[in-house]
Amino acid sequence: MSDEIIKEEVSGKDRRSFLNLSIFISFAVAIGGALYPVIKYLLPADSTKGTEGGETFFISADEIPVGSAKLVRYKNRPTIIIRTKENEVYALSAVCTHLGCIVKWHEDAKELLCPCHAARFDLYGNVLGGPAPKPLPAYKAAVEEDRILIREA
Amino acid sequence: MNELRLGPILIRNRFLISIYNFVENRLGIKEILDLEVFYKLAPSYLGIFSCFGGITFFMFTLQVVTGILLLVYYVPTTAQAYDSVVHITNNVPFGWLIRGIHHWGANIMIITVFIHMGKIYFHGIYKNPRELNWVTGIVLLICTLSFSFTGYLLPWTQLSYWATVVGTEIPSAMPVIGDYIKIFLRGGADVSQITLTRFFAVHIMVLPAAVIMFIVLHIIMIRRQGISGPL
Ligand code: FES
Repeated sequence: MSDEIIKEEVSGKDRRSFLNLSIFISFAVAIGGALYPVIKYLLPADSTKGTEGGETFFISADEIPVGSAKLVRYKNRPTIIIRTKENEVYALSAVCTHLGCIVKWHEDAKELLCPCHAARFDLYGNVLGGPAPKPLPAYKAAVEEDRILIREA
Repeated sequence: MNELRLGPILIRNRFLISIYNFVENRLGIKEILDLEVFYKLAPSYLGIFSCFGGITFFMFTLQVVTGILLLVYYVPTTAQAYDSVVHITNNVPFGWLIRGIHHWGANIMIITVFIHMGKIYFHGIYKNPRELNWVTGIVLLICTLSFSFTGYLLPWTQLSYWATVVGTEIPSAMPVIGDYIKIFLRGGADVSQITLTRFFAVHIMVLPAAVIMFIVLHIIMIRRQGISGPL
Protein backbone atom coordinates (compact mmCIF):
# COMPACT_ATOMS: atom_id res chain seq x y z
CA MET A 1 0.00 0.00 0.00
CA SER A 2 2.55 2.53 1.10
CA ASP A 3 4.78 1.42 -1.75
CA GLU A 4 2.11 2.37 -4.19
CA ILE A 5 1.76 5.83 -2.75
CA ILE A 6 5.48 6.39 -3.05
CA LYS A 7 5.42 5.10 -6.61
CA GLU A 8 2.74 7.55 -7.58
CA GLU A 9 4.45 10.47 -5.89
CA VAL A 10 7.67 10.09 -7.81
CA SER A 11 6.00 9.99 -11.18
CA GLY A 12 5.86 6.27 -11.71
CA LYS A 13 9.47 5.48 -10.82
CA ASP A 14 10.75 2.99 -8.31
CA ARG A 15 11.93 3.14 -4.73
CA ARG A 16 15.51 3.83 -5.80
CA SER A 17 14.71 7.04 -7.57
CA PHE A 18 12.59 8.15 -4.64
CA LEU A 19 15.50 7.60 -2.27
CA ASN A 20 17.88 9.29 -4.67
CA LEU A 21 15.56 12.27 -4.81
CA SER A 22 15.38 12.38 -1.01
CA ILE A 23 19.15 12.33 -0.74
CA PHE A 24 19.42 15.04 -3.36
CA ILE A 25 16.88 17.21 -1.54
CA SER A 26 18.59 16.76 1.83
CA PHE A 27 21.92 17.72 0.32
CA ALA A 28 20.39 20.72 -1.41
CA VAL A 29 18.80 21.87 1.87
CA ALA A 30 22.03 21.38 3.79
CA ILE A 31 24.15 23.23 1.23
CA GLY A 32 21.58 25.98 0.85
CA GLY A 33 21.40 26.35 4.62
CA ALA A 34 25.17 26.74 4.79
CA LEU A 35 25.39 29.13 1.85
CA TYR A 36 22.56 31.44 2.95
CA PRO A 37 24.42 32.96 5.93
CA VAL A 38 27.63 33.20 3.89
CA ILE A 39 25.92 35.18 1.12
CA LYS A 40 24.14 37.40 3.64
CA TYR A 41 27.48 37.92 5.36
CA LEU A 42 29.19 39.00 2.17
CA LEU A 43 26.33 41.36 1.20
CA PRO A 44 25.72 43.48 4.31
CA ALA A 45 22.22 44.89 3.97
CA ASP A 46 22.74 48.32 5.52
CA SER A 47 25.52 49.61 3.28
CA THR A 48 23.65 49.26 0.00
CA LYS A 49 20.91 51.72 0.95
CA GLY A 50 21.73 55.38 0.50
CA THR A 51 19.88 58.46 1.63
CA GLU A 52 17.17 59.51 -0.81
CA GLY A 53 17.01 62.75 -2.79
CA GLY A 54 15.21 65.93 -1.85
CA GLU A 55 16.54 66.06 1.66
CA THR A 56 18.80 68.55 3.31
CA PHE A 57 22.20 67.83 4.67
CA PHE A 58 24.08 69.93 7.16
CA ILE A 59 27.52 70.07 8.60
CA SER A 60 28.96 72.26 11.32
CA ALA A 61 30.48 75.41 9.82
CA ASP A 62 33.68 74.97 11.85
CA GLU A 63 34.50 71.88 9.83
CA ILE A 64 35.09 73.89 6.67
CA PRO A 65 37.24 76.98 7.31
CA VAL A 66 37.09 79.81 4.76
CA GLY A 67 39.18 78.98 1.70
CA SER A 68 38.91 75.24 2.04
CA ALA A 69 36.74 72.41 0.78
CA LYS A 70 35.43 69.20 2.23
CA LEU A 71 34.22 65.95 0.75
CA VAL A 72 30.95 64.66 2.23
CA ARG A 73 28.32 62.10 1.29
CA TYR A 74 25.06 63.65 0.17
CA LYS A 75 22.35 61.52 -1.43
CA ASN A 76 24.86 58.71 -0.99
CA ARG A 77 27.19 60.30 -3.54
CA PRO A 78 30.54 61.99 -2.97
CA THR A 79 29.81 65.71 -2.75
CA ILE A 80 32.26 68.54 -2.36
CA ILE A 81 31.47 71.63 -0.27
CA ILE A 82 33.67 74.68 -0.95
CA ARG A 83 33.69 77.70 1.33
CA THR A 84 35.13 80.73 -0.44
CA LYS A 85 34.06 83.48 1.99
CA GLU A 86 32.59 83.62 5.47
CA ASN A 87 29.06 83.45 4.06
CA GLU A 88 29.67 81.97 0.64
CA VAL A 89 29.55 78.22 0.13
CA TYR A 90 29.14 76.01 -2.91
CA ALA A 91 28.16 72.37 -3.12
CA LEU A 92 28.71 70.16 -6.14
CA SER A 93 28.73 66.52 -6.96
CA ALA A 94 32.38 65.51 -6.70
CA VAL A 95 32.08 62.73 -9.28
CA CYS A 96 33.84 63.80 -12.47
CA THR A 97 31.49 63.55 -15.47
CA HIS A 98 34.27 62.06 -17.55
CA LEU A 99 35.07 58.69 -15.96
CA GLY A 100 34.00 59.15 -12.37
CA CYS A 101 37.11 60.18 -10.44
CA ILE A 102 36.69 62.45 -7.42
CA VAL A 103 37.48 66.08 -8.24
CA LYS A 104 39.58 68.25 -5.95
CA TRP A 105 39.35 71.92 -5.07
CA HIS A 106 42.41 74.02 -5.92
CA GLU A 107 42.29 77.15 -3.84
CA ASP A 108 44.98 79.10 -5.75
CA ALA A 109 43.44 78.48 -9.20
CA LYS A 110 39.91 78.77 -7.76
CA GLU A 111 38.76 75.80 -9.72
CA LEU A 112 38.02 72.11 -9.36
CA LEU A 113 40.53 69.83 -10.97
CA CYS A 114 40.07 66.16 -11.72
CA PRO A 115 43.25 64.23 -10.85
CA CYS A 116 42.62 61.53 -13.45
CA HIS A 117 42.66 63.31 -16.81
CA ALA A 118 42.76 66.94 -15.75
CA ALA A 119 39.20 68.05 -16.40
CA ARG A 120 38.62 71.52 -14.88
CA PHE A 121 35.38 72.91 -13.47
CA ASP A 122 34.38 76.24 -11.97
CA LEU A 123 32.46 76.79 -8.72
CA TYR A 124 29.12 76.29 -10.49
CA GLY A 125 30.18 73.02 -12.03
CA ASN A 126 30.75 74.38 -15.58
CA VAL A 127 33.46 72.66 -17.58
CA LEU A 128 36.49 74.93 -18.09
CA GLY A 129 38.65 72.44 -19.89
CA GLY A 130 39.67 68.82 -20.24
CA PRO A 131 37.70 65.81 -21.40
CA ALA A 132 34.60 66.17 -19.17
CA PRO A 133 31.49 66.11 -21.39
CA LYS A 134 29.00 67.61 -18.93
CA PRO A 135 29.03 70.05 -16.01
CA LEU A 136 29.02 68.77 -12.46
CA PRO A 137 25.56 68.74 -10.85
CA ALA A 138 25.38 71.64 -8.39
CA TYR A 139 23.32 71.88 -5.20
CA LYS A 140 22.04 74.83 -3.17
CA ALA A 141 24.34 75.59 -0.29
CA ALA A 142 24.06 78.23 2.40
CA VAL A 143 25.62 79.18 5.72
CA GLU A 144 22.96 79.43 8.42
CA GLU A 145 24.19 80.42 11.84
CA ASP A 146 26.89 77.88 12.62
CA ARG A 147 25.84 75.31 10.08
CA ILE A 148 26.29 74.79 6.38
CA LEU A 149 23.19 73.45 4.68
CA ILE A 150 22.89 71.70 1.37
CA ARG A 151 19.68 71.00 -0.49
CA GLU A 152 18.60 70.04 -3.96
CA ALA A 153 18.95 72.88 -6.48
CA MET B 1 28.98 3.18 -21.82
CA ASN B 2 26.25 3.81 -19.28
CA GLU B 3 28.02 2.47 -16.23
CA LEU B 4 31.37 3.47 -14.81
CA ARG B 5 33.22 1.43 -12.23
CA LEU B 6 36.01 3.09 -10.29
CA GLY B 7 37.22 0.67 -7.63
CA PRO B 8 34.22 0.01 -5.38
CA ILE B 9 32.28 2.97 -6.77
CA LEU B 10 29.67 2.43 -9.44
CA ILE B 11 28.57 5.57 -11.29
CA ARG B 12 25.34 5.46 -13.31
CA ASN B 13 24.65 9.18 -13.74
CA ARG B 14 25.12 9.94 -17.42
CA PHE B 15 26.17 13.52 -16.79
CA LEU B 16 28.96 12.47 -14.40
CA ILE B 17 30.08 9.80 -16.86
CA SER B 18 30.29 12.29 -19.71
CA ILE B 19 32.40 14.64 -17.53
CA TYR B 20 34.62 11.69 -16.66
CA ASN B 21 34.97 10.74 -20.33
CA PHE B 22 35.84 14.28 -21.28
CA VAL B 23 38.72 14.39 -18.79
CA GLU B 24 39.75 10.78 -19.40
CA ASN B 25 40.05 11.29 -23.15
CA ARG B 26 42.34 14.24 -22.63
CA LEU B 27 44.37 13.42 -19.54
CA GLY B 28 44.06 9.67 -19.06
CA ILE B 29 43.08 9.83 -15.40
CA LYS B 30 42.00 6.19 -15.21
CA GLU B 31 45.53 5.10 -14.48
CA ILE B 32 45.67 7.42 -11.46
CA LEU B 33 42.12 6.78 -10.23
CA ASP B 34 42.72 3.04 -10.34
CA LEU B 35 45.60 3.32 -7.89
CA GLU B 36 44.97 1.19 -4.86
CA VAL B 37 45.39 4.09 -2.40
CA PHE B 38 42.01 5.49 -3.37
CA TYR B 39 40.08 2.33 -2.55
CA LYS B 40 41.25 1.22 0.85
CA LEU B 41 38.15 0.59 2.90
CA ALA B 42 38.16 1.37 6.60
CA PRO B 43 38.67 -1.86 8.58
CA SER B 44 35.69 -2.96 10.67
CA TYR B 45 37.57 -2.96 13.98
CA LEU B 46 37.88 0.84 13.97
CA GLY B 47 35.94 2.64 16.68
CA ILE B 48 34.96 6.18 17.49
CA PHE B 49 38.46 7.22 18.54
CA SER B 50 39.82 6.40 15.11
CA CYS B 51 37.66 9.19 13.74
CA PHE B 52 39.36 12.09 15.47
CA GLY B 53 42.05 12.60 12.85
CA GLY B 54 39.34 13.05 10.26
CA ILE B 55 37.29 15.23 12.59
CA THR B 56 40.34 17.42 13.12
CA PHE B 57 40.76 17.70 9.37
CA PHE B 58 37.12 18.72 9.07
CA MET B 59 37.62 21.34 11.79
CA PHE B 60 40.61 22.67 9.89
CA THR B 61 38.64 23.11 6.66
CA LEU B 62 35.93 24.85 8.66
CA GLN B 63 38.57 27.20 10.10
CA VAL B 64 39.88 27.94 6.60
CA VAL B 65 36.42 28.80 5.27
CA THR B 66 35.33 30.94 8.24
CA GLY B 67 38.81 32.49 8.40
CA ILE B 68 38.60 33.65 4.80
CA LEU B 69 35.17 35.10 5.51
CA LEU B 70 36.45 36.98 8.57
CA LEU B 71 39.32 38.30 6.49
CA VAL B 72 36.79 40.13 4.34
CA TYR B 73 35.96 42.55 7.18
CA TYR B 74 38.89 42.33 9.59
CA VAL B 75 41.38 45.23 9.63
CA PRO B 76 44.82 44.29 11.00
CA THR B 77 45.78 47.62 12.55
CA THR B 78 46.01 48.43 16.25
CA ALA B 79 43.59 51.33 15.72
CA GLN B 80 40.92 49.33 13.96
CA ALA B 81 41.37 45.65 14.75
CA TYR B 82 39.09 45.67 17.78
CA ASP B 83 36.47 47.88 16.12
CA SER B 84 36.40 45.70 13.03
CA VAL B 85 35.89 42.58 15.15
CA VAL B 86 33.06 44.30 17.01
CA HIS B 87 31.62 45.38 13.68
CA ILE B 88 31.74 41.80 12.38
CA THR B 89 30.07 40.49 15.52
CA ASN B 90 27.34 43.12 15.86
CA ASN B 91 26.63 44.68 12.48
CA VAL B 92 27.49 42.31 9.66
CA PRO B 93 24.65 39.86 8.97
CA PHE B 94 25.59 36.45 10.40
CA GLY B 95 28.96 37.89 11.43
CA TRP B 96 28.33 36.58 14.95
CA LEU B 97 27.86 33.12 13.43
CA ILE B 98 31.00 33.17 11.29
CA ARG B 99 33.12 34.54 14.10
CA GLY B 100 31.53 32.15 16.59
CA ILE B 101 32.32 29.17 14.40
CA HIS B 102 35.90 30.36 13.97
CA HIS B 103 36.31 30.96 17.71
CA TRP B 104 34.67 27.79 18.99
CA GLY B 105 35.98 25.73 16.08
CA ALA B 106 39.50 26.69 17.13
CA ASN B 107 38.85 25.48 20.66
CA ILE B 108 37.21 22.27 19.50
CA MET B 109 40.07 21.63 17.09
CA ILE B 110 42.57 21.70 19.95
CA ILE B 111 40.45 19.12 21.81
CA THR B 112 40.11 16.83 18.80
CA VAL B 113 43.84 17.10 18.07
CA PHE B 114 44.65 15.90 21.58
CA ILE B 115 42.11 13.07 21.47
CA HIS B 116 43.58 11.97 18.12
CA MET B 117 47.09 12.16 19.54
CA GLY B 118 46.11 10.29 22.71
CA LYS B 119 44.66 7.46 20.65
CA ILE B 120 47.81 7.20 18.54
CA TYR B 121 49.99 7.36 21.62
CA PHE B 122 48.19 4.93 23.90
CA HIS B 123 47.66 2.38 21.15
CA GLY B 124 51.34 2.57 20.24
CA ILE B 125 50.46 3.37 16.64
CA TYR B 126 53.41 5.77 16.36
CA LYS B 127 55.85 2.84 16.47
CA ASN B 128 57.74 1.34 13.56
CA PRO B 129 56.86 1.69 10.67
CA ARG B 130 54.85 4.84 11.40
CA GLU B 131 57.48 7.02 13.11
CA LEU B 132 57.62 9.46 10.20
CA ASN B 133 53.91 9.99 10.36
CA TRP B 134 54.20 10.72 14.07
CA VAL B 135 56.80 13.36 13.22
CA THR B 136 54.53 15.07 10.68
CA GLY B 137 51.79 14.86 13.31
CA ILE B 138 53.97 16.70 15.80
CA VAL B 139 54.69 19.38 13.22
CA LEU B 140 50.94 19.72 12.72
CA LEU B 141 50.46 19.95 16.50
CA ILE B 142 53.00 22.76 16.73
CA CYS B 143 51.32 24.54 13.81
CA THR B 144 47.90 24.18 15.44
CA LEU B 145 49.13 25.64 18.72
CA SER B 146 50.85 28.47 16.82
CA PHE B 147 47.55 29.13 15.09
CA SER B 148 45.93 29.52 18.49
CA PHE B 149 48.68 31.76 19.80
CA THR B 150 48.78 34.08 16.77
CA GLY B 151 45.01 34.13 16.33
CA TYR B 152 44.52 35.11 19.96
CA LEU B 153 46.23 38.46 19.40
CA LEU B 154 44.25 39.49 16.34
CA PRO B 155 41.13 40.97 18.04
CA TRP B 156 43.55 43.30 19.89
CA THR B 157 41.71 43.21 23.21
CA GLN B 158 43.26 43.64 26.65
CA LEU B 159 43.15 39.88 27.05
CA SER B 160 44.87 39.17 23.75
CA TYR B 161 47.42 41.96 24.21
CA TRP B 162 48.59 40.80 27.63
CA ALA B 163 48.47 37.15 26.66
CA THR B 164 50.86 37.97 23.84
CA VAL B 165 53.09 40.03 26.13
CA VAL B 166 53.32 37.08 28.51
CA GLY B 167 53.62 34.48 25.75
CA THR B 168 56.43 36.25 23.95
CA GLU B 169 58.16 36.91 27.28
CA ILE B 170 58.49 33.17 27.96
CA PRO B 171 61.34 32.44 25.51
CA SER B 172 63.34 35.30 27.02
CA ALA B 173 63.96 33.06 30.04
CA MET B 174 66.35 31.07 27.87
CA PRO B 175 69.95 32.01 28.44
CA VAL B 176 71.88 33.92 25.77
CA ILE B 177 69.42 33.62 22.84
CA GLY B 178 66.22 34.20 24.84
CA ASP B 179 66.02 37.95 24.36
CA TYR B 180 66.74 37.69 20.65
CA ILE B 181 63.87 35.23 20.22
CA LYS B 182 61.55 37.56 22.11
CA ILE B 183 62.50 40.53 19.95
CA PHE B 184 62.19 38.39 16.82
CA LEU B 185 58.68 37.28 17.78
CA ARG B 186 57.57 40.80 18.67
CA GLY B 187 59.39 42.60 15.89
CA GLY B 188 60.72 45.04 18.48
CA ALA B 189 61.07 45.49 22.20
CA ASP B 190 57.31 45.71 22.82
CA VAL B 191 54.11 44.19 21.51
CA SER B 192 53.04 46.78 18.94
CA GLN B 193 51.58 47.23 15.48
CA ILE B 194 54.58 45.34 14.11
CA THR B 195 53.73 42.37 16.32
CA LEU B 196 50.12 42.45 15.19
CA THR B 197 51.15 42.60 11.53
CA ARG B 198 53.55 39.67 11.75
CA PHE B 199 51.16 37.56 13.82
CA PHE B 200 48.50 38.31 11.22
CA ALA B 201 50.81 37.29 8.37
CA VAL B 202 51.79 34.08 10.15
CA HIS B 203 48.18 33.30 11.05
CA ILE B 204 46.70 33.72 7.58
CA MET B 205 49.56 32.77 5.23
CA VAL B 206 52.49 30.91 6.77
CA LEU B 207 50.64 28.47 9.01
CA PRO B 208 47.85 27.57 6.57
CA ALA B 209 50.41 26.81 3.87
CA ALA B 210 52.50 24.70 6.25
CA VAL B 211 49.49 22.85 7.65
CA ILE B 212 48.08 22.02 4.22
CA MET B 213 51.47 20.67 3.12
CA PHE B 214 51.87 18.49 6.18
CA ILE B 215 48.27 17.26 6.10
CA VAL B 216 48.90 16.04 2.55
CA LEU B 217 52.06 14.22 3.71
CA HIS B 218 50.23 12.85 6.76
CA ILE B 219 47.39 11.42 4.65
CA ILE B 220 49.64 10.05 1.90
CA MET B 221 51.59 8.16 4.55
CA ILE B 222 48.41 6.76 6.11
CA ARG B 223 47.23 5.64 2.68
CA ARG B 224 50.58 4.11 1.86
CA GLN B 225 50.92 2.21 5.14
CA GLY B 226 47.31 1.39 5.81
CA ILE B 227 45.48 1.74 9.11
CA SER B 228 47.28 -0.08 11.90
CA GLY B 229 45.79 -3.32 13.24
CA PRO B 230 43.79 -3.66 16.46
CA LEU B 231 45.56 -3.90 19.83
S1 FES C 1 37.72 61.10 -14.88
FE1 FES C 1 37.90 63.19 -14.54
S2 FES C 1 39.01 63.82 -16.25
FE2 FES C 1 38.80 61.71 -16.68
